[in-house]
Amino acid sequence: MNATAVNKVLEVRDLCVSYGKVEALHNANVSVGEGQIVTVIGPNGAGKTTMLSAIMGVLGSRGRVDFDGSVEGVPEVERMVARGMNLVPEKRELFGEMSVEDNLVLGAFQRYRMGRRDHGQTMEEVYDIFPRLKERRTQLAGTLSGGERQMLAVGRALMAKPKLLMLDEPSLGLAPLIVREIFRIIAELRRRGVSILLVEQNARAALQVADYAYVLETGEIAMEGPAHKLADDPRVIEAYLGLGGKHQDKLAH
Amino acid sequence: MEALRIIEDEHQSLAAILHAVRYMLKEIGQGKLQPDFRLLRAMVHYLDAYPEQRHHPKEDQYLFARLKARTNEGADAIARLEQEHAGGEARIKALEAALHQYASGDRDGFDAFGRAFENFADFYRNHMLLEEREVLPLCRKHFTEEDWEAVAAGFRDNNDPMGGTRETEDFRRIFSKLVAAAPPPIGLGGGPYEDD
Repeated sequence: MNATAVNKVLEVRDLCVSYGKVEALHNANVSVGEGQIVTVIGPNGAGKTTMLSAIMGVLGSRGRVDFDGSVEGVPEVERMVARGMNLVPEKRELFGEMSVEDNLVLGAFQRYRMGRRDHGQTMEEVYDIFPRLKERRTQLAGTLSGGERQMLAVGRALMAKPKLLMLDEPSLGLAPLIVREIFRIIAELRRRGVSILLVEQNARAALQVADYAYVLETGEIAMEGPAHKLADDPRVIEAYLGLGGKHQDKLAH
Repeated sequence: MEALRIIEDEHQSLAAILHAVRYMLKEIGQGKLQPDFRLLRAMVHYLDAYPEQRHHPKEDQYLFARLKARTNEGADAIARLEQEHAGGEARIKALEAALHQYASGDRDGFDAFGRAFENFADFYRNHMLLEEREVLPLCRKHFTEEDWEAVAAGFRDNNDPMGGTRETEDFRRIFSKLVAAAPPPIGLGGGPYEDD
C-alpha cells in the first residue's frame, strides 16, 4: 500500500481484466497521491498497458477505481476524461495532418466545452516546458521527429490541465539522449504539481524519477515500495536494473 | 544508497552523449549528415567538464575514500579507477586535438577523429563498467548507515566541488541545449548548435 500518498488522486482496488478466459490483470491495488510520480515497472507483456487502459475505462474491468475523491466503480472513458484523467498512449496518437499548435488546442477541447477559455495561457505554459514545440508550432505534427512527437503528446495532454497524467512508456523507441530529456521534463512536471502515473520498461530511469513504485509481473503486483527502496532491492537490481549492462548495450550501437 | 543511484544516473548521461557522438559520426561517414562542429565541440566539452567537475570528485573523495577505509577488497580496482581519473585530462586533450584537426579540414581529419573517439568511448565504457560491476557492489556490501550518511552529505556539498569558491557550469541546461540541437532521431533537430 502506498502510504506515501497524501490526498490520493487515484486509488485502484482489486482491479481485474480478462481477455476471454485469460486474466491479464489480477487484483491490482495501486494508488497515486497528489503531486506524486508513481511508476509501474515490469517486463513486456506483464499487463502494464492493460492496467492503464482499464483505469482509463478504455478496457472493461472488475474491481474499483476511486478518482479525485469519488468512487467510479468500473470507469467509463468519457467520464474519466471529463473529470481530469489524461492518458498519453504508447503510440502518441497525434493528428499528423494538423499543425503542432492545432494539436495542442485540441487538447484543451474538453475544458473549452466546459466553459474554461484559458487555453491561451495554458499553451504558453506548455511552450515554456517544451520550447521546441513553440519553434515548430506551424509545422504539421506528421513531420515531427520521434522525440518531438512524444513532447507534443505530453504537451497536448497538459493542455487539459489534468488532475492525473498517465504516461504509457514515454521513452519507448527513443534514443538515450532524448530519453534523458523526457525524464528531466517528467521531473519538472512534478515540480509544477502534476500527479503522474508512469508505466515504463526503462526501470532505471523510472525509479530515479518516481516517488513510489510497483513491479508488475504476469498480471500481478509482485513488489511495491518507495522508489528509492525498490531501486536498492537486490531482486529489482538483478531483474530490472542489470549490472551496468545498459551502458554496454548503448555503447555497442 | 542514494549516492550509488546518483553515480549510475550520471553514467547514463555520459553514455547518452557517447551514443549521440557515435551516431553522428556514423551518419557523417555515410554522407547522410553534415558535421556541426560547434555541436561536436560542445559534446566533447561535456564529456570533459561533467566528469571532471561533477562526477569524479564524488567518486574519489567520498565513495572510494570511504570504501578504502572499510576494506581492502577491490583495492586494485580502486587504484586503477583513481589512476584513470587522474589521467582524464590527457585523454580528453587527445580527443579535442583530433576534433580540431577534423574541423580545420585536415585530409585524414574525419577518420582520425573517429579513431580518437572510439578510443575514448572504449576507455569510458570499461571505466564505468568496472565501477558498476566491481566497486559499487562493494560499497553496497561494506558500507554502514553512517557511511551512507557521510557520503550523501559529501555529495550534497559536491554540487559545488570547490566548496563554494568556483561557479560550475549548469550541466542540466547544457544537456538540454545538446538534445535540442542534435539531429533526429537522437535529438530534436534544432541545430546548428549555438554557443552561449
